[in-house]
Amino acid sequence: MSYLVCVLLFGLMVGSVGVASNPSPYFAAMGLVMVSGVGCGVLICFGGSFLPLVFFLIYLGGMMVEFAFSAALSAEPYPYGWGNRSVKMYVAAYVLGVGCAWKVLLGKWSGFWGGILDESGELLVLRGDMMGVAAMHDVGGWILVLGGLGLLLTLFVVLELVRGVSRGGLRTV
Amino acid sequence: MNPYLLIVLLTSLGLGTALTLSSTHWLLAWLGLEVGTLAILPLMAQRHHPRATEAATKYFIVQATAAATLLFAAFNNAWLQGHSDIQHMSHPLFTSMITLALLLKLGLAPMHTWMPQVIQGVSLNTGLIVSTWQKIAPFILLLQIKQIHPPLLTIIGLASILIGGWGGLNQTQLRKILAYSSIAHLGWILLILQHSTALATYALLIYIFMTSATFITLKKCKATTINMLTTTWTKAPTITLVAPLMLLSLGGLPPLSGFAPKWFILQELTQLNFIPHASIAAMAALLSLSYYLRLSYSITLSLSPNNLPECLQWRVNYPISTPLSSALPAALALTLFLLPLTPSALTLII
Repeated sequence: MSYLVCVLLFGLMVGSVGVASNPSPYFAAMGLVMVSGVGCGVLICFGGSFLPLVFFLIYLGGMMVEFAFSAALSAEPYPYGWGNRSVKMYVAAYVLGVGCAWKVLLGKWSGFWGGILDESGELLVLRGDMMGVAAMHDVGGWILVLGGLGLLLTLFVVLELVRGVSRGGLRTV
Repeated sequence: MNPYLLIVLLTSLGLGTALTLSSTHWLLAWLGLEVGTLAILPLMAQRHHPRATEAATKYFIVQATAAATLLFAAFNNAWLQGHSDIQHMSHPLFTSMITLALLLKLGLAPMHTWMPQVIQGVSLNTGLIVSTWQKIAPFILLLQIKQIHPPLLTIIGLASILIGGWGGLNQTQLRKILAYSSIAHLGWILLILQHSTALATYALLIYIFMTSATFITLKKCKATTINMLTTTWTKAPTITLVAPLMLLSLGGLPPLSGFAPKWFILQELTQLNFIPHASIAAMAALLSLSYYLRLSYSITLSLSPNNLPECLQWRVNYPISTPLSSALPAALALTLFLLPLTPSALTLII
């Protein structure tokens, strides 16, 4: 089980580096798909049932949709992939960073602790993650309203900032 | 700008600061700061010329970096401490990290480099909002954090006063001068923050009045460089009379209100035996005073060459009215005449 977690975490790292190394959104979207899939797997290995699906939803339905919109609005004739020199420099820097972190932390984080979502180790109806979301809506209802207001404001701000018939990357937008 | 959108943005600006001021949990404080950052971006990029867009982009990146650092340190502290209370932070590393993030938001040295460029790129009214309203929320959060490493605040405070003084000396653009003036004043506020929060609040309040009066005056004169200030006597003779007093209040000269915060800060520092800090701060205030004097010279104390039709603008266009004109008398009165009322003004804050 811990070997599967290690493989999935390695895939998470590869996908994250692929997104963060700043290629064109066409290619970064693929990195996001990979991260969402393996991230969902990691959370399942730690015992979650609802939270992995939320993770999938946010990555694929949120972030990747944003990347798709960016790709549509900023059309490039020669998009940068991971073979491009500047993108490769970023990849090298991030891999170096992960390597340093691995060297520094190896031995300090040992063991497989499945206690985040799966404390009792048996099959339950009311899992930790679902009860957490229910509590967030119950006790923290007003903060969710504030968060929603903030997101609505973000929508207005973005629409106002990119408004303009001839100022965007594609003329008719 | 679409009036509905303008109302939404201005309301969200107020909402963001109100959220931060009324929060005890770091998540809600961060939410308020982010709402404030987002709401001002379209106001900054309103004119859509490249300098305004660049200023909005720089402002967003700086504030987002500071907010991300703040969130990171707050959650790390919550993990180690068990609760996310603003007023009971105990871990020294994350307290320092949060302090640095808030100081980046305020634009203090050595994290000040974004400030002159951002305030230069936006209009005078938006520069007013960025200089005054956006300082309130991070400042209130700074007030509530106990046990900040004292040398951090002292060194950054003194550096800000010095850099605010030296940086403004070579400027001819008025918005950049006011940005450096903002850096210097916030340096004074930071210097006294660890010793007396009431004095820091009073200093911020007087700074907000003085800066508001200055920005509104510049907007009325439609002046953005020092050369444009020289025709103020043709447009509004009353402003020509009052503007040097306003600028000297910014410089901290008695008997104007700007003297009170500096006076009490120096007194508090001396009583606590921080003589080098008080000396450096007092001498660095002279640097700022020199460029305020330069502005007063251009406005009132000298008469630049001019042709006859332009000398009589005040006969045709008087009074110049901008949307914020009605706030100018109040701001000017508070900038000039508050020193004798200082005891009662301080009782509102202590």
